[in-house]
Amino acid sequence: MVDTAFFAPEHDAPIEYMRRTREYYLALGYDNPYRWAHYVDAPFQPLTKNLADSTLALITTAVPYQPDNGDQGPGAAYNAAAKFYTVYSGDTAVDHDTRISHIGYDRKHTTAADAHTWFPLPLLREFAGRGRFKLARRFHGAPTNRSQRVTLETDAPEILARCRQDQVDAALLVPT
Amino acid sequence: MSLVARYLERNGIPTVIMGAAKDIVEHAGVPRFLFSDFPLGNSCGKPHEPDTQRFTLELALKVLASAPGPRTTVQSPLRWNEDGDWKLDYNNLARLPAAEVARRRAEFDKVKQTALDQRKKAGVA
Repeated sequence: MVDTAFFAPEHDAPIEYMRRTREYYLALGYDNPYRWAHYVDAPFQPLTKNLADSTLALITTAVPYQPDNGDQGPGAAYNAAAKFYTVYSGDTAVDHDTRISHIGYDRKHTTAADAHTWFPLPLLREFAGRGRFKLARRFHGAPTNRSQRVTLETDAPEILARCRQDQVDAALLVPT
Repeated sequence: MSLVARYLERNGIPTVIMGAAKDIVEHAGVPRFLFSDFPLGNSCGKPHEPDTQRFTLELALKVLASAPGPRTTVQSPLRWNEDGDWKLDYNNLARLPAAEVARRRAEFDKVKQTALDQRKKAGVA
């Protein structure tokens, strides 16, 4: 078996979101481009025990539905009123109606009609039930601020503290 | 979210990110990353397809347990659709008429004002 010489089209590669976004907002009249977080190194902490014995926490950028804060989908336009600015936590033993209208997801190709595509809590419970890992008692909501300083100095330490309270061994982070 | 992953990892909690914005996550530099080449909003699999969602989560757990070192990216083999044409749409000026750009400019001005009001209300403006 060999690969053929019929290559995929040039555009069929991961989207360059940073370049697209920069050019897009320039066209919209904003000449102060967002500077994405960028580091040369990355930390690494191996799992200290088997996954089956590890307590896993879910970290999400989604937010519980807020009936008083406008259209939150499915199909809602970008809704800045639904944004949140402090870390929140939820009980993983029960279901939560989370939304992503406050985030710049793909509004043409994503209907946002199935919360399982951004908030896998029911599936995590199923996996934990099969003994794949232990599910932490709480999940945590990470604010999507434009301020990276707030993320670094306030939100990340708060999420760490809550994970430690729950004896978390590993975290699954799902940005939208 | 990449900043949170780095912070947890540096403080002793191993992390894996399930995401769809490959360049942004890798630019930040994270320990482990399961990349799904899907439109933003589908980090955990395809809508109404529990099998792809299970597959995606299972793959993320494998990345969590077996990554050999930092900046490990694994790309899910799942395809959003056959032709990949959706990738040409996201915020692509080449596909937007001038009138639509003008409409979005006006809309964005409003969104920014709302966000500013929210931050003031939350005391972080």
